[in-house]
Amino acid sequence: MIEEIIQFLTTPLVMRAMIGALLIAIVASASGSFLVFRGLSFMTSGVAHAALGGAALGLFLQYTGIAPWFDPILGALLFSVFVAAVTGYAGESGIAQKMEVAVGVSFALSMSIAVFLMYYIPPTQVPQIWGYLIGDILLLDNLDVILLAGTAVFLLLLSLMFHKEFVYVSVDMEGSIAHGLNARAYHYLMLLSSSLAIALATKAVGAILVYAIMVAPAAASNEVMRSVRGVMLAVFVIALFSEFAGLAASFAVHASPSAIAGIIAAMSYVIAMQIKKIRERVNGLAHLDELRGTEASPEITVLDVAEQSRHND
Amino acid sequence: MSQMLLEAHNLSVRYPQGEVALYDVNFAVRAPTFMAIIGPNGSGKSTLLKTAIGLLRPTTGTIKTLGYDAARESAAIRRLVRYVPQRDRIELSVPIKVKDIALMGRLLKKRPPRIASRKDKRLAREALERVNMAEFWDHPFNELSGGQRQRVLVARALASDGPLLILDEPLAGTDTESQRLIVEALREYHTENDVSIIMVTHDLNPIHTMVHDVLLLKKTVIGLGEPCEVMDHELLTRVYGPSAKVVEYGGHRYCMTQDSGVDRHD
Repeated sequence: MIEEIIQFLTTPLVMRAMIGALLIAIVASASGSFLVFRGLSFMTSGVAHAALGGAALGLFLQYTGIAPWFDPILGALLFSVFVAAVTGYAGESGIAQKMEVAVGVSFALSMSIAVFLMYYIPPTQVPQIWGYLIGDILLLDNLDVILLAGTAVFLLLLSLMFHKEFVYVSVDMEGSIAHGLNARAYHYLMLLSSSLAIALATKAVGAILVYAIMVAPAAASNEVMRSVRGVMLAVFVIALFSEFAGLAASFAVHASPSAIAGIIAAMSYVIAMQIKKIRERVNGLAHLDELRGTEASPEITVLDVAEQSRHND
Repeated sequence: MSQMLLEAHNLSVRYPQGEVALYDVNFAVRAPTFMAIIGPNGSGKSTLLKTAIGLLRPTTGTIKTLGYDAARESAAIRRLVRYVPQRDRIELSVPIKVKDIALMGRLLKKRPPRIASRKDKRLAREALERVNMAEFWDHPFNELSGGQRQRVLVARALASDGPLLILDEPLAGTDTESQRLIVEALREYHTENDVSIIMVTHDLNPIHTMVHDVLLLKKTVIGLGEPCEVMDHELLTRVYGPSAKVVEYGGHRYCMTQDSGVDRHD
């Protein structure tokens, strides 16, 4: 029995899927965490769909003979850089809401370009464009794994070197600039590296898995973890667990590993919200006991409770 | 030889939306000093600060900070400045710790990878002690109350290096205990160190005894001088409207405005 399992796990297909899962978890930890800090979880889906527009452009250029050398993946990377640049420009002042709007607009533009170009690509080629979005972790080839590994290593090095700067830019853009940080450079570096990673990861494992793994674990961890390092570690653990559980389930029953991983990752966010709520209730009660215990004057009690409830909001 | 802290010539600044924030601003203040910039909401106080460190560009005219032109030599200015933005500019979605904020001012002046030395940690801890926040060293910043967060931000400035501290509304919306701690910490730090402090506030009351220069602003300079010179009925009504009153009582002058309650001056 055990021998059978080991034999199964060492088949190239399963090995590639597991390595792919590990690499995606690294990408989520090194990039997804910072995107959530920055209030930019929506950028993941924006970039993945923009990459679709780019892939369509690539196919169009190949088919019409304008630029036969233009690989669809080049178009995908180009368009994801475009989204990052537009988003970055909108967010130079440090306001997250403006960036969300920019993501939405450039997302819509890229999708429109994709659909526009589809009219000029032979219908037989069109599925190849959509195929870009629905990659599968079980269908990775060696090149996908190498691309993913390169992306993961690059992001890991980047966040090891510049995690302080990325955090500073997210926390206090204005103060960082005033203290002499070239905040704009780090702002763009973070957005560009993340969007290139999203585009490459999408190509390898498909959009569904990328959305689920880049966004949900980071959002969940950010609700309950109380340090940047804690968040990044928790993202890695949740992402890896979701993906392995998805793979395991797909071997046991007939199901898409990405879908199962996505469901588990999304559940982690729901659970994190509950943990946070319970923790807040416990803290609130403890604080109330503390106030009653000290027999503070009535005015002060009222003020402190008001302060606490405002803070909890 | 004493140096010029701020020097504005015909300065005018527009908000990004195009509205005029400041016009015909001309003044000069010597360093070192403890300076307050006061005026009602929308009078251009924060805009003046941001222009002085090159975060905003003048539409016309110039402003020099510690002798450097803010538009052209902002890099030089930023090496000398420690800046505390308005508290609501700090994003709370990142689970950064109190120590990380306190160290931030020092680490930002270093080169990557910006490792905190023993000295950095000692100074950050001492600065947190000054505002009575040292026990929160390992606590997440976003779980603090507003007043506590403001105290940590002031500690960030106190821990850092540079001859000029700039604080944008550090007392706004804070509890009285935090106000007292911040004002006391700034007073001590100013007397112990050869630094200049510029503070934007709509309420001169808590800091009036420690301030040397007060700039009264309403889109342009209405008055500049020692606190007693600025506590003038005619000047204050021009800024705060006819409801502003200067009241003398027990040898002190009080200014009452609808904007900020009571501004007292010894």
